Amino acid sequence: MKYAAILLGAVIIVAASFFAARAITVNSLTNHNSIFDAFEDVDGTWMYSDKIGAAAASSVERARVAIGGPLGLSSKEAVYFIATRDDAGEPLRSQCSYRVTGVPIDTRWWSLTLYDSVTQHYVPNAENRSSWNSISTPRTETGNWVINVGPDPQDSAWLRTQEAPDQSFELMIRVYNPSAATRAVLPIIDLPTVERVSC
Amino acid sequence: MLNRFLVYVLGAIVLATATFMLTRNLVISQAPVKVMSTIETRIAAGAGGWNACFHNQVYGPRANAARRANPDSIISSMAYDLSDGPVRISGETWPRYWSISFYQQNSDNFFVMNDQELPDRTFDFVLALDSHETGALGGTPIISPTAKGIMLIRRFAADSDDMPGIIANQEALTCAPA
Repeated sequence: MKYAAILLGAVIIVAASFFAARAITVNSLTNHNSIFDAFEDVDGTWMYSDKIGAAAASSVERARVAIGGPLGLSSKEAVYFIATRDDAGEPLRSQCSYRVTGVPIDTRWWSLTLYDSVTQHYVPNAENRSSWNSISTPRTETGNWVINVGPDPQDSAWLRTQEAPDQSFELMIRVYNPSAATRAVLPIIDLPTVERVSC
Repeated sequence: MLNRFLVYVLGAIVLATATFMLTRNLVISQAPVKVMSTIETRIAAGAGGWNACFHNQVYGPRANAARRANPDSIISSMAYDLSDGPVRISGETWPRYWSISFYQQNSDNFFVMNDQELPDRTFDFVLALDSHETGALGGTPIISPTAKGIMLIRRFAADSDDMPGIIANQEALTCAPA
């Protein structure tokens, strides 16, 4: 009788610990901000990771990337930067307008893409546009460029944020085949500024 | 009596902690495998089976894309299963940017090559397990660490005007058992 009680207690402890661990771990991995734990801060605005698709990633980093951004390329081929805050450190919000200003990036091609931070997908829009790339983005003679981000349509390069106010979004820069000079200074490259214009 | 009670409490704490940590590690290690399996099933359904090509032929953001997918890359994909032997992938590259990448079942990107790393515009890869004999098959062998996985071919589309050329490039792609 005594041993039966001990065994029953052990089974209950194992079951409770199993279900608690599973729930806590799944919740932690599927949280929409979870993927950013695999990224390091670069300049207060942009975050960088060389652990995408990498054998060197820890099991937690691998799981977070697989869930939040599966099938990314390893840093041999491309590098990724994500911003969830503007240059003042404020979270990017859907009702605000931002100006993203960049200089040429020494790479084969790059793109800037906007994602809804909660759905982790594109923001639906009538323009059928969630990104600008190094060919489609209008540039000055010096190669500098500006992409406007916000809810109000712009004549120039523009990415629409969510219709509903107070939604969070993120900006991702993909840099494909960076030059040797760019690789040598990663992740401290000339990343664009993200300035809040109005809110 | 008190000593025996403390032994029970200590035993319970050790058992709970061990179970918690084992479960946590199991969930973390299996999460990428589960994600890969889900994507493989979707690709295979779209391609009509494993070891066959599936092409995205839509420019721009797509509602059914993976999380944080790249709208500037037009993808061809293949869910592969090498249990019955090697698989051949051959075709032509795309000049703006082209790359072929392979992902093993834990989601690691174990191989990637782009068009500038190839000697010419054509490619002929034979994806195999280390135990397969590929010498008589020709092509460039690529060894997959796992029997199942995913292949992606990315082509950079600057804008929608690139799509006719990319679709023609996709249609020239072959993915099939070698």
